[in-house]
Amino acid sequence: MQNTFIAKNPSVLWFLLGLSIFTVVVSILSEAAGTAFISTSFLKTLGKTLCLCLVAIAMDVVWGYCGILSLGHFAFFGIGGYAIGMWLMYDRTKDIVVSSLENNILPPTPEEITTAIGTQIFGVVGSTDFPVIWAFSHSLSLQLLAVVFVPGVLALVFGWLAFRSRVTGVYLSILTQAMTLALSLYFFQNDSGLRGNNGLSGLQNIPGLEAVSQATLSLWFFWASASALGAGYLLFAWMTSGKFGSVIRAIRDNEARVRFLGYHVESYKLFIFTITAMVAGVAGALYYPQAGIINPAEIAPIASIYLVVWVAIGGRGRLYGAVIGAAVVSLMSSWFTGGSAPDINLGIYTVKWTDWWLVLLGVTFVAVTLFFPKGIGGLFDLLARKEKQS
Amino acid sequence: MRFALIALILTICSAPAATAQNLQSILQTFTTEIAKPSRGTVGDTLDAIAASGLPQATPFLEQWSEKNVWQRNDGMFFIGLASGDTLALTDIDTQAISTAQKSDFKQLKPNGGVRRLIGTALVQFQLIDPDVSRRTTAVASIARRPEAAQLAPLLASIDPEVDASLKARKIQLANFLTARFAGGPVDRIAAIDSLSTDTSVEARAVLNLILTTTSGVASAQPTGNIAAILDPLDAPIVSYFALVDAGLAVAKQTPADIKRALEANIIDGRIAGFPLAQMDNAKTREAAYAALVDDGMVPTLITDTLRDATLTDHIFYELYDEPNATITAAAISALAAVDTRVATAKIADLTLDALSLASIFFLAAIGLAITFGVMGVINMAHGEFIMMGAYTGFVVQTFVSNYTVSLIIALPLAFAVTFGAGVVMERLVIRRLYHRPLETLLATFGISIALQQLAKNIFGTQARPLTSPDWLAGAWVFNDVIQISYIRIAIFVLALMFLCLIIHILKRTRLGLEVRAVTQNPGMASSMGIDPDRINMMTFGLGSGIAGIAGVAIGLYAKVTSEMGSDYIVQSFMTVVVGGVGNVWGTLAGAAMIGFGQKGIEWLNPSNTLAAQTYMILFVILFIQFRPKGIVALKGRAAGD
Amino acid sequence: MNTLFEVSGVSVSFDGFKAINNLSIQIGEPELRAIIGPNGAGKTTFMDIVTGKTKPDEGYVIWGEKSVSLLGMSESQIAQAGIGRKFQKPTVFEAQTVRENITMALKNPRRPFDLLFNRVATDTEDRVRAISDEIGLTDALEQTSGALSHGQKQWLEIGMLLAQDPRLLLVDEPAAGMSAVEREQTTDILVRAAKTRAVVVVEHDMDFIRRLNCKVTVLHQGSVLAEGSLDHVTKNQDVIDVYLGR
Repeated sequence: MQNTFIAKNPSVLWFLLGLSIFTVVVSILSEAAGTAFISTSFLKTLGKTLCLCLVAIAMDVVWGYCGILSLGHFAFFGIGGYAIGMWLMYDRTKDIVVSSLENNILPPTPEEITTAIGTQIFGVVGSTDFPVIWAFSHSLSLQLLAVVFVPGVLALVFGWLAFRSRVTGVYLSILTQAMTLALSLYFFQNDSGLRGNNGLSGLQNIPGLEAVSQATLSLWFFWASASALGAGYLLFAWMTSGKFGSVIRAIRDNEARVRFLGYHVESYKLFIFTITAMVAGVAGALYYPQAGIINPAEIAPIASIYLVVWVAIGGRGRLYGAVIGAAVVSLMSSWFTGGSAPDINLGIYTVKWTDWWLVLLGVTFVAVTLFFPKGIGGLFDLLARKEKQS
Repeated sequence: MRFALIALILTICSAPAATAQNLQSILQTFTTEIAKPSRGTVGDTLDAIAASGLPQATPFLEQWSEKNVWQRNDGMFFIGLASGDTLALTDIDTQAISTAQKSDFKQLKPNGGVRRLIGTALVQFQLIDPDVSRRTTAVASIARRPEAAQLAPLLASIDPEVDASLKARKIQLANFLTARFAGGPVDRIAAIDSLSTDTSVEARAVLNLILTTTSGVASAQPTGNIAAILDPLDAPIVSYFALVDAGLAVAKQTPADIKRALEANIIDGRIAGFPLAQMDNAKTREAAYAALVDDGMVPTLITDTLRDATLTDHIFYELYDEPNATITAAAISALAAVDTRVATAKIADLTLDALSLASIFFLAAIGLAITFGVMGVINMAHGEFIMMGAYTGFVVQTFVSNYTVSLIIALPLAFAVTFGAGVVMERLVIRRLYHRPLETLLATFGISIALQQLAKNIFGTQARPLTSPDWLAGAWVFNDVIQISYIRIAIFVLALMFLCLIIHILKRTRLGLEVRAVTQNPGMASSMGIDPDRINMMTFGLGSGIAGIAGVAIGLYAKVTSEMGSDYIVQSFMTVVVGGVGNVWGTLAGAAMIGFGQKGIEWLNPSNTLAAQTYMILFVILFIQFRPKGIVALKGRAAGD
Repeated sequence: MNTLFEVSGVSVSFDGFKAINNLSIQIGEPELRAIIGPNGAGKTTFMDIVTGKTKPDEGYVIWGEKSVSLLGMSESQIAQAGIGRKFQKPTVFEAQTVRENITMALKNPRRPFDLLFNRVATDTEDRVRAISDEIGLTDALEQTSGALSHGQKQWLEIGMLLAQDPRLLLVDEPAAGMSAVEREQTTDILVRAAKTRAVVVVEHDMDFIRRLNCKVTVLHQGSVLAEGSLDHVTKNQDVIDVYLGR
């Protein structure tokens, strides 16, 4: 079956090939390989970009294929990051605490260790007790499950409520945005148990791998991100092809008609909404150890809007479009806002890109929506058509 | 009536003393006490001076307190001002002025405690001072630091008081003092009962002061006016500390104490025979400690069981400082009555708060509701139009310094600016995207991002003030609990005006008729000669214009920043969605629900407005489950599908 | 001929306007039935109620041998129970090919995982071919359905209905916008379909109905005005007054 799938979708093969070549080239040029054409910090940026591409294809499936304009998928991304961040922070703090208590005359008791870790982590919000949601933070495997299942369950519950009552279109978008806002406001609170606006930090240090240099670690994460993107692409390409894909695209174009064909539209939407949320969680869990820090501002409603912008500019309804959009726009964003873009001197006024990039992005986005609804991916169609004609 | 009587008696008593002596002779009977006053002894002196009722007593006391009283070698007192070696003297009784060598005199320097007592005594004189400002100051000083001694003079001063409002205040204060300090319980209970209708903070403080308690612990039932017998096991740790503080028990060892004790008894890497390496759990540590106890090296470990047993052997109680049980009972019932009133007033205050929040949401959302309802267009840049209006107000204020005038200019100008922006946006963007609501949503996102950054580039990231005119500055105070700032009232009035205006436009004007026609059936409307493009443009302009005015209003009480729009946009959408699309009344209902809901949740959990917003959004998400079309839903075919 | 489906005493109103007023209709199996009536007579609302889009204020909708009520069921459940509907405007999925459209409609397990893991019957290809032959679109199978002509879209939609293999077909104005030749073919498709199942056709075009040659129900103001053969109802004075006379 897999063979026929690949045969029917040659673009998947091309994408995977391209991704592999990119990974190999970047690996060879990285600091860990000794050539150091690519600095560790830029390697991290590339790794993070791959994660953003992964969440972007999830967004593309839920919006471009199934027609649900979710303004909440970056929140799922953030939750994934928080879930892995809890283990990273707990385990690393534990190492630090244990080694600092080692010099005590009496060997420390488990209670003493727990209290010391609690003080270390929650001191900034004036607490020493472990909140209930940290109950599994000692276990990597349980937190890895949380990376997938917390966004999944949240999406399942929210989606069930929303789809069941036939909330669609702009209403649904607004509701998902409200959900995101509620989540970020909740995370901002000190008593949410997630360190309020301090967020979780020091996530770039992986417990147990202290001996490994950041250069090597970054390369590993880059590989992990690339594999995750490849696997995600394969999964979504498989899902969106065939009869299942046919039904979800039909739901996008005319939901009521699909219902009269006897399909339970709500379960399809719920399935898509949930699985994409889970993939977003995985992407977040790979992203934040490379970013090193996560705080509630990351999941503010505007982040999910940028996600939509990437997919729209890249071209929705095609997976590679989402990848292109996320990669191009996020890399350009960091280039322009990082201050490395040259300012334009107009004589009377100097255009500083740190100030004007967002204006440019906003206007571009409007133009894309108005004139190129197919985004950058649409250019491929144009090229393909020209080739046919000639 | 009773106060008048007491006042009369007081005046009669003090009158003969005044004629009998002059002040100097009274002072001479207390020479030592005045020359070297102490807190303990000066009381009698002050009483005597006060009892004299002489008019010259007030200036004397004032000067004494200011360290301007000097004593001559022969013991006579004068008011004096030193300049170089000479003193300008004023006779205490006759006010005759003379000069003398400073060396013959000694300056009286009463310490702080004494000066305070002098001040208290002074108050009695100031209360009947002919100068109304002095009387007011005296009353205020009593209110600040009420004392038992002030009751009688205060009562005496009520009858002669000519200023009506000051008299009322004096009566109120006298009532407070009577409740706390009067001699007989009958007077006090009467005064306490009269406080049960007074919701002021002062009155509640008086009642609470009568009900102050001292907690204590004893092995037997205590005597006195018992407020409560406590169960020590409700909070065993705190109770045990109290027990230790009272000297009735030895302190419980903390884990740190145990650890220290263990560390102090390490012999050859072992503690009481246990190897050090085994000390990594609480059980072994306890066992080691127990072994140390058996060896008599450390005191017995007080376990939780032992602690609780000790606790139950003792009685923990709270005693009223006021010994008379009937008085405390009266105060409790008065306080309960006051609390009920305060609770009612708080609900009223909360309602006002909620109302003003609802008006803000209404103002912010109504423009959105119009465009959404009439055109089916979601304008994500609506929040940025609010911001644009607020910045318009700010710019006007930088040119026009009179705040009232600038506000009068800013409101229509903000409307004009955002109306224009709305029309431009409609023509350039929205018009090309009709019947593609999700695309409109996206395009307006882009505009919102660009506008926000543009505002940041022009006005900077720091918050800009939009100052309201003085007549909007204060607050309308009903009582200590209920008050509402004028700005919020103004916003409420503004919201009301816009409600009426919009209803008027939609129901009574040609434009409204055409708008409704286009809403219901654009095809039919255009075949009847209505230009839907023009109507859509006007509608969008109107919606945006109202956002601009809302921006000025919001800017007046919140800061103007480039991000202020995004603070309101989600709430505005909630308001529209909850209310039901395409209906002004729906928006009103939605704003009311969200405003009241948010305030209600804030009331339940006052410390956390973030939580209130979180729960409100969750509530809205659940609400949509039950009324997917909002509170005021269109039914049937008109609802589309 | 057994009674397959019965609507009895159904009423529904929108904002005070009674769209359906105490309507009762019985359909047998197999049967071909035409429903006619002036604009606003409640024809479309009748279909909305049967397919679960609109919930009636009162009355019963009973289905099948076991006399199940359709009122508590969702649109998709009703569709799975065996009621197919063709809309007035052709609503095929224009971005997808004719084959995809028909495949989607084929009677197969319809839960998400059934589709994801391809748990469908093996004779799919044969069934798609049979349907496309029936509606004359075999040559266009790989074509995007958006590129079809208006008439072809109508047929595709009827084909999708047939693919669902329903026991009751509700067809709303199938002949609208069709040429004379196309109409004839449409009539044939419907008459053939009605041999094995119940087919209800809502139509304005009297010639088309005459060609169907079946029992006719005339609706007026939300209730049945007359019922019988076309000749019978066209002679009815009430029908002439409210409908034909104008």
